[in-house]
Amino acid sequence: MRNAELLRSALQSLRANPKRSFLTTIGITIGIAAVITILALGNGVKKRLSDEFNTTQNGEQYTYLYFTPNDSQSAASGFTETDLNAIEERFGAKVKKAAISHETNNASVSPLVGNERVNNATISLLKRPTSKISIIAGRNLTTNELLTEEPVILMKESLAKKQYQTVQNAVGTSVSIGDHDYRVVGVYRSQANTYNDNKYGADLIGGTKLFYSGTTATTGYGIKLTFYQGANAGKVTKKIKKYMEKKGTSAHDGTYMAVDAGAELTKVNNMITGLTAFISAIAGISLFIAGIGVMNMMYISVSERTQEIGIRLAVGAAPQNVMAQFLLEAIVLTVGGGLLGFVIGWLLAGIISNFMPYHIHAVITLNSFLLAFGVSASVGIIFGILPAKQAANKNLIEILR
Amino acid sequence: MAMIRLEHVNKYYGQGATRFHVLHDINLQVAAGELMAIIGESGSGKSTLINIIGFLDDDFEGNYFYNDQAIHDYTRADFAKLRNQHVGFVFQNFKLIRDISIAENVILPLLYAGVGRRQAKKTAARVLSRVGLGGYDDKLPTELSGGQQQRVSIARAIIANPDFLIADEPTGALDTKTSQEIMDLFKQLNQTQHTTIIMVTHDPRVAEQCERVVKIIDGRIVDDRKVGAN
Repeated sequence: MRNAELLRSALQSLRANPKRSFLTTIGITIGIAAVITILALGNGVKKRLSDEFNTTQNGEQYTYLYFTPNDSQSAASGFTETDLNAIEERFGAKVKKAAISHETNNASVSPLVGNERVNNATISLLKRPTSKISIIAGRNLTTNELLTEEPVILMKESLAKKQYQTVQNAVGTSVSIGDHDYRVVGVYRSQANTYNDNKYGADLIGGTKLFYSGTTATTGYGIKLTFYQGANAGKVTKKIKKYMEKKGTSAHDGTYMAVDAGAELTKVNNMITGLTAFISAIAGISLFIAGIGVMNMMYISVSERTQEIGIRLAVGAAPQNVMAQFLLEAIVLTVGGGLLGFVIGWLLAGIISNFMPYHIHAVITLNSFLLAFGVSASVGIIFGILPAKQAANKNLIEILR
Repeated sequence: MAMIRLEHVNKYYGQGATRFHVLHDINLQVAAGELMAIIGESGSGKSTLINIIGFLDDDFEGNYFYNDQAIHDYTRADFAKLRNQHVGFVFQNFKLIRDISIAENVILPLLYAGVGRRQAKKTAARVLSRVGLGGYDDKLPTELSGGQQQRVSIARAIIANPDFLIADEPTGALDTKTSQEIMDLFKQLNQTQHTTIIMVTHDPRVAEQCERVVKIIDGRIVDDRKVGAN
């Protein structure tokens, strides 16, 4: 018999008893849904960890160390090449690379706007022009300007109004940051800055290349530390911080702060990992019981359909045809339940992630799908094989008598 | 040359002290094209004999040559293949699968022979109209009368063009009139298609319409004669 026909007769028999088929699969559905939910959330936390914080794609971790001068007018240079060399020399076993962090989102600056110093201003830096902001006076930056390091800059509407009363007045004025004098070519309307991570809510928008040329290339208020795989990044970062507080170039002019934003998420991750083991154990029991349910139903089905088995054998079905048919019924049943569980788990994880902290999103991977498919198919095979064998080994003469 | 040749076939049910000897040293030959009836009391072993002839029962002693092949040595899977390719069955209680359509029932032997569903359904429509049930393809067995259901099972038996038909009390569950219709259908198949038919019956009116009648008493063939009528 052709395989497609086998599948067809399996589906046909299951459809003949839809309620029973559905009830039998519920256990599988619940088990798979639970596993998929917890895996999706766990993956979400891991993805968040690697995306945003501590891990690069090849498994290296990184942290940031920031310097805050005691006095905002201070000439303290923060981190210098001397500091970086010292860190790499002293912590070289753990730290792969220490580099000035070139913040491009909302970097703190103290520009000279016209003749007036503006403290605590922010600047976002671009490699190419963006269409995500709306220009309300003047024009946007051009690709060419950013590429050739033209000293041009965009100013936020609120800053422009504060300094020059109208936005039109601001266009053409100058802004000095560090070593560079910029010309304001446009004023943009700020987007609502709900989170501090919206780069288009900064006071100024300029080009990355020019901003970080000159002294800012070798000195800065932040450094990025990249660690070798397996190093305890949080602990080493604290040591480096202590070291900088004693020996750093600007140690007497400010304070250092280590940012290990992954630490909190690591706690969540550990919690989820523990929870995954727990829920997997419960799901395992659920799947086992569901498997026994499938086995039970298949035995009932085999004894109810003794006549059908006899008829099929009589018209020329080989015993292995009959076995394949019943095994396939069990597998279709469990895989159907498994896929339903997969979808439910996906939805459930999506709903739960709305209530999770740190913007964690449920992440469904191909592996999750393969797991759901593989596990449910295995349950079908393991618990379906004995009833199917029984069906195939029925005594034809006794059935037909 | 005989198509079917049984030599010294013995059959027992059960084991040890309770072993029951059903068939005693059966020797029987059936040639292609015969229309044969096996008659006897209930419990005489006629159904057991017909099950052996029809490859349903592979558990017997003695020799069975089918077209000179020694099939008593065959495996269970080989028997399944023999059933599929060489024989069609008609049972007293029709033995149709209740929750699939008439056409689905009829095409089963073709599906197990590896024929595609589309092709098989076309053949089924043709065979169904040959047994007088054209257009009944999509009905369920339960929607049909007993006589009609027996026609369906005959259609299923002949769809794969078997060498012979085995019919175990084919008219046992039918009234006189319907019985005669089914018998007419068998005779027509035998005469026009030259299908070999071996049936078990205890109805003398059915038996006397066959060409050859074999009588079994207590597991022994006691009479084997041609009936000249046809």
